Amino acid sequence: MALEYIVIVFLIISIIISFGIGANDETMAPLFGSRILNMKQILILAAIFAITGALFLGEGVAKSIGDEILLLDYGHSGINPNAVVMTILISTAIVLILSSALGLPISSTHATIGGIIGLGLLLGGIDGVNWSTILVMSIWWLASPIVGFTVTYGVVKLLNKQKVKSFKGFKDYERSENLYSYIILIIICVTAFSRAGNDSSNSVGIVVGVGGDINIIWLLIITGLGLASGIIVLGRIVIKNLGKMTELRPSTAFAVQVPTAAVMLIGTIQKIPLSGSHLLVSSFVGLSKASNIPMQKGLWKIIAIWLLTFPIAAILSIILYFPINFLI
Amino acid sequence: MNKLKLLKDKKSELDEVNKEFLAETLNGSALLHEALSTFIDDKLKKESLEGVIQVERKCDLLKEKYTQVLFKDKRALPFLVEDRYNILMMIDTVNDKMEFFARFLEVYPFKLYKEIKDEFKNLSSSCAQAVEELVNCAILIETDFDGAYKKTFEIEEKKREARTAKFNLLGKLYKMKDDPTRVYLTSKLVTYIYDIVSWVEETSDYLRGLIIRYPSR
Repeated sequence: MALEYIVIVFLIISIIISFGIGANDETMAPLFGSRILNMKQILILAAIFAITGALFLGEGVAKSIGDEILLLDYGHSGINPNAVVMTILISTAIVLILSSALGLPISSTHATIGGIIGLGLLLGGIDGVNWSTILVMSIWWLASPIVGFTVTYGVVKLLNKQKVKSFKGFKDYERSENLYSYIILIIICVTAFSRAGNDSSNSVGIVVGVGGDINIIWLLIITGLGLASGIIVLGRIVIKNLGKMTELRPSTAFAVQVPTAAVMLIGTIQKIPLSGSHLLVSSFVGLSKASNIPMQKGLWKIIAIWLLTFPIAAILSIILYFPINFLI
Repeated sequence: MNKLKLLKDKKSELDEVNKEFLAETLNGSALLHEALSTFIDDKLKKESLEGVIQVERKCDLLKEKYTQVLFKDKRALPFLVEDRYNILMMIDTVNDKMEFFARFLEVYPFKLYKEIKDEFKNLSSSCAQAVEELVNCAILIETDFDGAYKKTFEIEEKKREARTAKFNLLGKLYKMKDDPTRVYLTSKLVTYIYDIVSWVEETSDYLRGLIIRYPSR
């Protein structure tokens, strides 16, 4: 196949991947839940930050996918590493799109690792996967919701104490909530911007990896558009579902978002694979418990999809590997 | 900057309409109390009753204006919007109940029994005081949760007084051997005033719930 056709095929796949990632982007959920902005405004804002984030931060650097988990000998076994990466990314995108269509936020890291495990088992048997790394990661997967719950619970309790002490009437309350709404708006915009940059590297990387004369600016814009359309078409369902999980005010949205962002940042610096989705959902639960506000139905569905993410992604990658390997 | 200005404009307009609405409610209550005082003295001042009806109409217009300002800017931060709306609707029901009572008193064809005049005066006073306390509570909740919280207990006390007066009045009325229509309609008069106080207390309970709920949310 001529290089330009290969680039086009990879470009289409890259758009599907960025669409899938955008579809499961729940960053804006606290803005919707606390009703600082309505859905239309949120989608416009999300689209702007998805495109600009991809353009300015998505430098086209492919992430090393599965290096620490897959124990495959590419040199001697004749396995095509491009097919492996492509399979993992496509299976991840499909799992993300499916869960987004159901309005359920999942961890893209989990979907990716599910796909890696599936391929590892398929191509290298039981020894194809670095189980000790998986074990270490599993501890953090279990820890993510606990950390999210605990930190948010503590922050909400502290905030409530401060409110009881210093709020004399509705006016104080309003003034404070007003301030929080601007703070949370800025924080979420920054998060959306950086997340778009980070997420776009997955889909940009595979096209860059093909080689050829590619205009990187256009590629980044296309990726940003893919992310934005994912958010607009399916991401809105996830944002709506998550935002409505419990009653949110700008101050409680702050209590949910800031610890989540802080823990994620620490996790990233320490190279701990924490899941943003898990942290956010468990933060909602922490908020609900700390404020005695009931949770909406649907939490168990989210937990079920978290548990099912690994086997679904693994099976999907096994199924997809053969046609992708044949085509590449 | 424009949004901030818009929010500020909205807030001050909202405050002004709210103040006017509460002042009118207080005015309606004072007019009703005046009408009741003249009724007890067998010289019912119908203009006061007309005044209560006019106040209710004015409050309806203010309610409309308030609701429009409250929901005008969809982008505006909507916390408290529902609670403020509920407070307004509940206080408006107080106006409705006062207006209903005024219309009833307007067509009430009898004079008040001499035997129940004192107790009736007590009931009328409890009603006027309860409405006044409710208006104060609604003003205080904006800037002083503690003060508003205390007011809700004062309203509760007024309701208790009104309840005692109501049953004393009904007890006396039911023992009367007079024209059943007069007895029945007088008992209705008592019940309708008590309904105003009872609703005022329900509104104050709602306000108390908000005060308790808000700081911990």
